[in-house]
Amino acid sequence: MIIPKEVRQKPLEYILLGIVFLTGLILYLFAGFDPHGRRLVVYGLAACYFFWSLLHHYKRGDLHLSIVVEYLVIALFGIALLTFSLF
Amino acid sequence: MKYSFSHFFIPQEKNNHRASLLKSHFLLLLIAFYLLNQSVIKFISLVKPGILGYSSEITAQKVLEKTNAERQKNGLPELQYNSVLSESATKKAQDMFTSNYWAHTSPNGTTPWDFFKSVGYKYSVAGENLARDFYDTDSLMKAWMDSPTHRENIVNSKYQEIGIGVVNGILGGVKTTLVVQHFGTPLNAIATKNTKETKPVVTSSLAQATPVPQSVPETKVLSETKIKYISPLALNKIIGLIMFILIIGVLFVDGYLTLKNNVHRFTGSTVGHIGFLLVILLFMLVSQQGAIF
Repeated sequence: MIIPKEVRQKPLEYILLGIVFLTGLILYLFAGFDPHGRRLVVYGLAACYFFWSLLHHYKRGDLHLSIVVEYLVIALFGIALLTFSLF
Repeated sequence: MKYSFSHFFIPQEKNNHRASLLKSHFLLLLIAFYLLNQSVIKFISLVKPGILGYSSEITAQKVLEKTNAERQKNGLPELQYNSVLSESATKKAQDMFTSNYWAHTSPNGTTPWDFFKSVGYKYSVAGENLARDFYDTDSLMKAWMDSPTHRENIVNSKYQEIGIGVVNGILGGVKTTLVVQHFGTPLNAIATKNTKETKPVVTSSLAQATPVPQSVPETKVLSETKIKYISPLALNKIIGLIMFILIIGVLFVDGYLTLKNNVHRFTGSTVGHIGFLLVILLFMLVSQQGAIF
């Protein structure tokens, strides 16, 4: 199995990210048919991912505006497509 | 031609070793395209009501059978099918289509109990479950059983009878199927047992189908048409899925080639992006159809 270099270099940060994703998945399933609860989980997950990216790139020393914008757009992409598809 | 499009999907010198589709401005364009598509669907629903929607395969008989099965699992007696209760349930569904609302109480204040009264059903306890936009009975039942309040009605020992209304029509410009369950215990049944009368409760539940002397009605259709309906929900979901899979696929290719060619770039984490979008994709896949109330 190929483990990308970025993961090998900062395994703890990616384990943290994995825990965030797993928690989000469990909470989403737990929300069941409650659209408000689902929305909160999606927004929360996107926010956590964004904050993780700030921490990750700050520690790497390459936290620049273009990277921040990239994460914001990816988070927005996920939120927009999911919320407008389902709610 | 091949060369001119490859930069969208494959990292190369021409795109500064980052697939163009993954660049922020292209992602924003994709979001804009998706929102535009949403607006078109909503516009069609407004100007051509009934074009969008879908025909469900749900029938009152199937709902009755599944409800009884759930009650059996919980060691409860089956609910008796009552055609008068079905009439009130059907009236409720028709009223939601006619007055264009989705709630237990109509905008003019009509409560579920008014429908019970209108058909002459005198109850000691009663309940109502609503559902819309479900394609099949299994998904509908799962949704109700996953909701504590709806489940409470389905496996409620206080109820003896059930009526089910399954009506097709146009709600909010979109063709859909409304499913209404009315539960009740006749007033005289309680009086016979000298039991204290209880107030009606609004909850959701399903009734069970025992071999009943009365026949279960077929789905009512408020607006007949030969059009093959397109579900706006399914359409949105399909377009969303395609876009997700496209971006995740490009991210995989981008990540693989970057790793293989040992390219150093000044970008966000490809692994993180893939992980985040895969989780959102999973959310989309596990999300059930329909809505309950």
